[in-house]
Amino acid sequence: MYTLSDQQVEFILKDIQQKGIHTEDLQQNLLDHICCILETEIKVDDDFETVYTLVLQRFYKNELLEIEQETQDLLTFKNFYFMKKVMILSGLSTAGTFMLGSVCKVMHWPGASFFFVLAIGLLSFLFLPLLFLLKQKELKSLQEKLVLLSGVLVGMLYTVAVLASVMHWTMAKSGTYWLLMIGFSFFVFIPLYFFNGIRKPESKINTILVTCLMVIFMSLQFLMVSLKPDIQKQITAIEAKQ
Amino acid sequence: MLFSSELIKGTLKTIVLKLLADNKRMYGYEITQKVKELTRDRILITEGALYPTLHALEADGLVVTELEYIGKRVRKHYKLTPTGKSKTKEKVSELIEFMQTMHVLLDINLQTS
Repeated sequence: MYTLSDQQVEFILKDIQQKGIHTEDLQQNLLDHICCILETEIKVDDDFETVYTLVLQRFYKNELLEIEQETQDLLTFKNFYFMKKVMILSGLSTAGTFMLGSVCKVMHWPGASFFFVLAIGLLSFLFLPLLFLLKQKELKSLQEKLVLLSGVLVGMLYTVAVLASVMHWTMAKSGTYWLLMIGFSFFVFIPLYFFNGIRKPESKINTILVTCLMVIFMSLQFLMVSLKPDIQKQITAIEAKQ
Repeated sequence: MLFSSELIKGTLKTIVLKLLADNKRMYGYEITQKVKELTRDRILITEGALYPTLHALEADGLVVTELEYIGKRVRKHYKLTPTGKSKTKEKVSELIEFMQTMHVLLDINLQTS
C-alpha cells in the first residue's frame, strides 16, 4: 500500500483550505478521507498530483466549498425551527399585550404603560430582529437583504415613535422619533425598495404602487407630526383666553 | 442499480446512526466503505453528504468523537452517545414504518394504474 509523505499530507491540507474549507474539524475529516483513498488507489508509478486532482473531483459537483456550506447550513438549520417558534410566539404575545395595553389605556386602568412598553419591546427587539434573521436566509442578493434590513429598522423606529407619543416622552413632544423614522424611510428605505424592485420586470408595477402608497403614508405621517405643535399652541391659546 | 442521491439523502442520518450502533466506532472513510460493501455498491455515500451529516449529529449530541493521530493527520472516530443510541432505535423504527407505508402506498398505485 502506498504511504503518503508528510509533505504530501501538508499539500492536501493547504489545498483544501485554499478551496474554502475553513471549519477545522471538517478539514481534518476531509484530509483523512482523501489520504485513505489515495493510499488505497495510488500506485508507485502514478503522479501524486494528477491522482489527487481526480480523487478530489469526486467530493463535489461544482466546487469543494459546497461541503463547507452544507455543513454550516445543517448546523444553523438546527436553530431554524427554534427561532421560528420564538418569532411566532413573540408575534402573538406582542398582539395580545398591545390589546391589553389599549384596553387599560381606554378604560383608564393602571398597567397600560407597562403593557405598551412590553409590547413595543417584544416587537422591536425580538419579533422584528428574528423576522430579519429568518427572512434574509431566503434572499440571495445583498441589495434584497439591505431592503429587508432597512424595512425592519423602519418598523422598529415606528413602534418606538408610537410608544414615545403614547408615553409622552420628552423627545416625543418635538416629534424627534417620528422625524427620525420618516427621514430614514424617505432617504434610505423607500429609495432602496424602489430601485431594487423596479429593475425586475415581474415586480415593476407592484413596486411603483407600493412606493406611491408608502410615500403618501409617510407624507401624511409627516403632516401629522408637523401640525401637532400648532394644534397644541392653538389649544393653549384657547385655554389662555378662557 | 445505483440508488439516486435524493433517495439516500432522507435516510442518511439513520444509515450512519445504525452503522455506528453496530460497529461501536467508525471514521468517515470507513463508513463509506462499509455502506458500499453491505449494499454491494448499490448505495454510494458521497463525502459531500456524509461529513455535513456527521457534524450535524455531533452538534445534536448524538455522536462524540475520539481522535487518533496518524503522522501529520488526525483521524476522527465517531461513536454513539446514550442519546444517540435511543435516537437510533427511534429513527430505525420510523424508517421501517415509512417503508411499510410506502409499500402499501405503491401497491395501491400499481393496482390503480
